[in-house]
Amino acid sequence: MPTGIRSYNYAQDMAIFRTRAHWVWLGVLLACLFTGPLYWGNYWLGVANLIGITIIAAMGLNILTGYCGQLSIGHAGFIAVGAYTAAVLTNRFEMPFLVGLICAGFSSGLVGMIFGIPSLRVKGFYLAISTIAAQFIIIWVINHWTPVTGGFNGMSVPPAQIGRLTFISQGSQFYLIMIIVMIVVFLAKNLSRTRAGRAFVAIRDNDIAAQVMGISLFRYKLLAFFIGCFLAGIAGSLFAHWTGFLNAENFTMMDSILYVGIIIIGGLGTIVGPIFGVLFIRLLQQLITQISPVMEGALPNLPAGFTTGIGPMVFGIAIILFLIFMPRGLAHRWSLVRASYRLWPF
Amino acid sequence: MAELSQFVITGVTVGMVYALIALGFVLIWKSSGVANLTLGQLVLVFSWFTYGILVQVGFPVWVGIPLVILFALGVGWLVERLALRPLIGQPILALITVTLGVAFFIEGLVSLVWPKSVAALPRLFHEEPIYVGAAVVSQEYLWAAVISVILFVLLTLFFKYHRMGIIMRAVADDQMAVQACGVPVAKVFSRSWMFACVLAAVGGILMSSIGGITFGLVGTGLKAFSVVILGGLDSFLGAVVAGPIIGLAENLGGGYLTPLTWPGVREIIPFVIIVIVMFIRPHGLFGERRIERI
Repeated sequence: MPTGIRSYNYAQDMAIFRTRAHWVWLGVLLACLFTGPLYWGNYWLGVANLIGITIIAAMGLNILTGYCGQLSIGHAGFIAVGAYTAAVLTNRFEMPFLVGLICAGFSSGLVGMIFGIPSLRVKGFYLAISTIAAQFIIIWVINHWTPVTGGFNGMSVPPAQIGRLTFISQGSQFYLIMIIVMIVVFLAKNLSRTRAGRAFVAIRDNDIAAQVMGISLFRYKLLAFFIGCFLAGIAGSLFAHWTGFLNAENFTMMDSILYVGIIIIGGLGTIVGPIFGVLFIRLLQQLITQISPVMEGALPNLPAGFTTGIGPMVFGIAIILFLIFMPRGLAHRWSLVRASYRLWPF
Repeated sequence: MAELSQFVITGVTVGMVYALIALGFVLIWKSSGVANLTLGQLVLVFSWFTYGILVQVGFPVWVGIPLVILFALGVGWLVERLALRPLIGQPILALITVTLGVAFFIEGLVSLVWPKSVAALPRLFHEEPIYVGAAVVSQEYLWAAVISVILFVLLTLFFKYHRMGIIMRAVADDQMAVQACGVPVAKVFSRSWMFACVLAAVGGILMSSIGGITFGLVGTGLKAFSVVILGGLDSFLGAVVAGPIIGLAENLGGGYLTPLTWPGVREIIPFVIIVIVMFIRPHGLFGERRIERI
């Protein structure tokens, strides 16, 4: 907040966008975003869509892990639940897209709550393990419940459709996904300032102290699991309609770890964190996929698995380096940049 | 009946190997309080390294296996020095996720160096199977059990009588007090990572001589988690007892439940056990029940 700005009532004090400059920057950002399909190619629109979907999922994990402190290494599994719910509803039962989207959120949320129940008694490593177990059990069920999910053969998903609008091209899906991303970011920002959000932070910082102060651990931990996995389900549904073809290969444990890495790199417990983290990881992925064929051409004696192996290696190193040198993530760096901009030239 | 004894023998012997890998986990957990989620990937990379040494380079077994052990010691030292040491004193979330980062790195490394997804080790043991009652057991299983038992005994003796073992137990008991006595605690952390890596390497060699080298070895490492959860995170005895139980449950369940459910049910039995233990008795069979204070 620049100096000299005063709030004269509570509404002003709580406003997210407080100065004219904020609104101008917001307008510029939205204008850039929504005219994007005009000058980005189809390929980069696809990347942008994937980024949007990942932001929704990472936002959910950030509420669960960043705000409430419950580490989950099964996020890809919960996304899979949502994706398959949406796919089954729209493909086999021919329900409308929006019904599938909401049901995907609720089914993921419920599955997440079931696997979140151990969090009432255990935490830290134990919880990590039980969410890993969730990941494997979910993927196993998807792979073997062939009549419903298509099993190892996967299943096709019709494109999203609202009324007469059908979202087939990357450009049209871009608008759909970005609008949902904005709703999710807005809700997440506000959630963090409500009673529930504050309760989450209290539980993260010390759950026994929180309980002593009258916060129901049962209620808020399960609520955190529900909200986190609800968003995972929404992301899963969008992912299903975006790819058009689902396979359990899309939701491996490595993806779950990648989501944890994303929110670490972005900055735990902040709203901009997941956005930065997703941008960092997905753009790094793009960089690697663009560069590695070039490098293979230039350096002929690279090992044969270079293209597949280099990505995970770089992500692993990124996670380790961020944890050691920048544990508060890119979001903290961003707030430093903003502070120095405001205080310039001092 | 022959079927039953077959399942029991296979289950117990494979379970011993799980217990061996799980011991490495318990070792690190007890000494430094770090949850090592890299186990699966460590098992994978050591198995591939063994393949590289024995098949690609072509060393004989009696040179190759010691080289793998040395490599495992090196990897353990490096991981602790580069990834864990800078994070001493950080919140548990950071300590868990840094091992996930290591896991990611190792998985990438494996697919970079060994892009083949399946390979087989040369035969380490004799080919002809052994008849135990009505059951037929191939020698790999028996050797796996024998080697695991030998290592259990050696580890027990080490912790009971060797200076380093006693220091490790002391560090597990009270880090501050041990540091005050002038023991370099960081060195103990480093040693426990090196030992854990050796156990993972031995476990990996035994498992891949039974079933070949696949990405399924990561799953083998993950099954070690169900062993530690069932046995109790901080109990060596727990790991040794729970290992064969998990192996038995996996093989009996896989044998008798498959007709009732879907094929491949044995893959997730350890994970279902994790969830059940979490609900009923989260500190495991022999684990210490922690009482927390603010």
